[in-house]
Amino acid sequence: MAARTKKSPMELGARTLRSDPRDAAMDALTRHAIESGRNRLVVAITLFSLCFLTLVGRLVDLSLMRQAEEPTAMHTSATTAVTRADIVDRSGQLLATTLDTGSLYADTREITDPENTAAGIVNVLSDLDYDDVLRQLKSGRSFYWIKRNLTPRQQQQITELGVPALRFVPEDRRVYPQGPLLSHVLGFVDSDNKGIAGIERRFNGLLTDPARHGRPLQLSIDVRVQHTLRDELQRGIAEFSAVGGMGIVLDARTGEVVAMASLPDFDPNEPGAAEPETLFNRATLGAYEPGSTFKTFNTAMALDTGTARVFDRFDATHPIQIGRFSIKDHEPKSRWLTVAEIIAYSSNIGSARIALAAGLDRQQDYLSRFGLLDKSPIELPEVGEPQYPGTWREINLMTIAFGHGIAVTPIQIASGIAAAVNGGNLMPATLIKRDPLQPVAGQRVISAETSATMRQLLRLIVTDGTGRKADLVGYQVGGKTGTAEKIGGGGGYRRKANLTSFASVFPMSDPRYVVLCMLDEPKATKKTFGWATAGWNAVPVARHVIERIAPMLNVAPNDTPDQRDPALLVAFKQ
Amino acid sequence: MIDFGFYSDRQSRSILQKLGDMSWTLLFLIIATCLVGFVMLYSVAGGSLEPWAGRQIARFFIGLSLFFIVAIVDVRVWLSISYPFYLFAFVLVVAVEMAGTIGMGAQRWINLGLFQLQPAELMKIGLVLALARFCHGLTPQDISRPLVLIIPILMIVVPTFFVVRQPDLGTAMLMFVGGAGTLFVAGASWIYFLSGGALGLLALIPAWSLLRDYQRDRVLTFLDPGRDPLGAGYHILQSKIALGSGGMFGKGFMQGTQSQLDFLPEKQTDFIFTVLGEEWGLMGGLGLLCLYFLTLMMMYVLALQIRHQFGRLLVLGIALMYFLYLFINIAMVMGLVPVVGEPLPFISYGGTSMMSLLISFGLVMSAYIHRDIEIPRRPGAFG
Repeated sequence: MAARTKKSPMELGARTLRSDPRDAAMDALTRHAIESGRNRLVVAITLFSLCFLTLVGRLVDLSLMRQAEEPTAMHTSATTAVTRADIVDRSGQLLATTLDTGSLYADTREITDPENTAAGIVNVLSDLDYDDVLRQLKSGRSFYWIKRNLTPRQQQQITELGVPALRFVPEDRRVYPQGPLLSHVLGFVDSDNKGIAGIERRFNGLLTDPARHGRPLQLSIDVRVQHTLRDELQRGIAEFSAVGGMGIVLDARTGEVVAMASLPDFDPNEPGAAEPETLFNRATLGAYEPGSTFKTFNTAMALDTGTARVFDRFDATHPIQIGRFSIKDHEPKSRWLTVAEIIAYSSNIGSARIALAAGLDRQQDYLSRFGLLDKSPIELPEVGEPQYPGTWREINLMTIAFGHGIAVTPIQIASGIAAAVNGGNLMPATLIKRDPLQPVAGQRVISAETSATMRQLLRLIVTDGTGRKADLVGYQVGGKTGTAEKIGGGGGYRRKANLTSFASVFPMSDPRYVVLCMLDEPKATKKTFGWATAGWNAVPVARHVIERIAPMLNVAPNDTPDQRDPALLVAFKQ
Repeated sequence: MIDFGFYSDRQSRSILQKLGDMSWTLLFLIIATCLVGFVMLYSVAGGSLEPWAGRQIARFFIGLSLFFIVAIVDVRVWLSISYPFYLFAFVLVVAVEMAGTIGMGAQRWINLGLFQLQPAELMKIGLVLALARFCHGLTPQDISRPLVLIIPILMIVVPTFFVVRQPDLGTAMLMFVGGAGTLFVAGASWIYFLSGGALGLLALIPAWSLLRDYQRDRVLTFLDPGRDPLGAGYHILQSKIALGSGGMFGKGFMQGTQSQLDFLPEKQTDFIFTVLGEEWGLMGGLGLLCLYFLTLMMMYVLALQIRHQFGRLLVLGIALMYFLYLFINIAMVMGLVPVVGEPLPFISYGGTSMMSLLISFGLVMSAYIHRDIEIPRRPGAFG
């Protein structure tokens, strides 16, 4: 090899003579390439060596020139840290706080009586194993970590053992006194007390900002309501053997989230022990096909644009066939239905016809106004993007009318429903308590008159339609049910696996709160006569929630009968 | 048997003969490096094979058998599948990108059950293979023609773009610099590298706006680690403290306080060099650098003996990637470059990295074992 390349100048000469035989020319070319490659190699090797020298230089510098800082560095970093501020609920109840704890270590070279010391330690810290501790104490190592984050009482007891070789390092520990109650809202911190999920992550900077002097962060959450919501959801999940559930209680006027739960959940005090799937926040991160709840927005659009009035009739006699799709009703009435009947009986065919009458542009415009096509503004890092078709065709127009072929997060639904009933203003959903003296301007979505009609229609669903099991005397509940089949592995729908939801509002005469409950794969039971649709499971769960939280939220029962609009009397005759 | 009979090579050899022809020095250096890794992982776990050292050893043996298989297969087979392999890796990278968009947050790997496949790792190998294949038989003059050079540049830039978006800044940097370096060794004109460098400096300004918040944070913190001593600067400060506390000979095996006491995050993966520095001191650190340096030099020596340009560029390209890998990691833990999250080759705990490294070295060895084979300038149907 070496001998061959030595000759290259001559061959380079040969290459310039174009008359040379082709083989020789090729050879010369190759060798020239080798030659040039070698020069490049020398350059490359020089650069590498320089880099290596830099590494060596830095290593020597770090290892030999900067030794003394070790013992102090860790302690100073622990003490100069700003204590992470507390998080409290809307009435000041403690949700997250930081405790001073001590972490115990031993310089085992100074231990004179390892047996007794180990016995003493295990006596105080009963979760440690005597043999383990003893072996480590005898190891002769200069630093043995016994246990982190001891309570003051445990520290006192250890100190009373009177062994000077047992020492403490002060360390902060984040504690969530409510346990798993608000796991997905609060999130959690890592071992260095840095927020890595939920509010803890979203407001990490604020919670550790020295300028705030540890002032607590106040959420819009009400722990009492939160507890009730979680409790009823748990009960519902157990009763209907569901794989999970989700609930949101939203202030319909301000957009404040009063309670938000996603089950199964976890204990933020021990996030490491949580099953990965429990970390998922169904309320804000999960985007689901909303199903019939979406008919609310479809109807609001038609009424607000004037393309249909409550008493206008649409043909629901036969299923609509488009290509290989067919739009059917679950309980077909097989006749022409008024707009009021379409939403009360939850007719897919009718909803599709309403959407067709309004057209693509109006549908997109109104869904966008209701905030259903954009990520929810709620203050959590875990917020999912809504998913909808890139190109919106007529088939999408029709299926989206009844909530299929589109996926949105539950928090978007709750905000949208609030806008439909509160007079027509979309309030950005928030987890931070709003100052009542500084009202936030909402965004006008529909007119106040349309909103009034929507209140009547949603009330009608509970008095005469699919939401009858939520009709609580005195609270004038209204709402829309939704049962969506979960998308299966093969891209189709799984008939047996439902996602049922009930978006309810109370009291309908002057809406105060939106209660959205959702169950994931509820099963039919004897009590539901073999049904697993929303009216049989999500609706009763929401009813129990409203029944318990209404008094807490100062909503007084009101026995006056519903005032039905004359137009509605025409549109809906029972 | 694995010889793929369709290449009836004049010096057709048995597997044993091929093994005899391979560079045992290089293999020895690799194994020595891996051994350092096992010892460190054992120490980090507080003197236990669980949870890291044992699994790492198992992966090493799987990887080593892959190494031998790859080494024995005729280098022309690797030549002929260079482009398909590159495309395959690219499709995987894009697939992960798509899956990541539909799912939530950063997703860099595909779960294969036994271990997770990071397409970016395959992409690195595919890139070197494809570049070597492309430059094979081209003279420096050919390569320096703008219309020719644009092809390998696209081959580098397109996958790098997707890897940046994953976001995996370290691997992207490695692919870009490694690919450019391969073209440099292949002989592309100086002008391109000088003007490229100048353009790169200009591009820093818009690039800044494309970085994610946490990436920006890391760069700022790199420039001034004291800026955020408990947040993003924590890694680097703790790492420097640990290295500094090691002194000349270190605190001794399993005696590193910073690393044994969980003050050091990611100690079994990206920051394992720190543990070495703390426990074995300056001597340990220098020893490992020495091992790496010898491995690289050995690869150069092998490259010089290979008679076909494909093999030479393949070996040099892999050497370059290997060098960048270890340089980025070590420079990072010593605070010379920003924290980008690249593992230390053969030492850090991690299955994909171990596999892809051993496969890469298998390719090096295949090129060396088949060093005297003549490969025509325009070979094969895949050309």
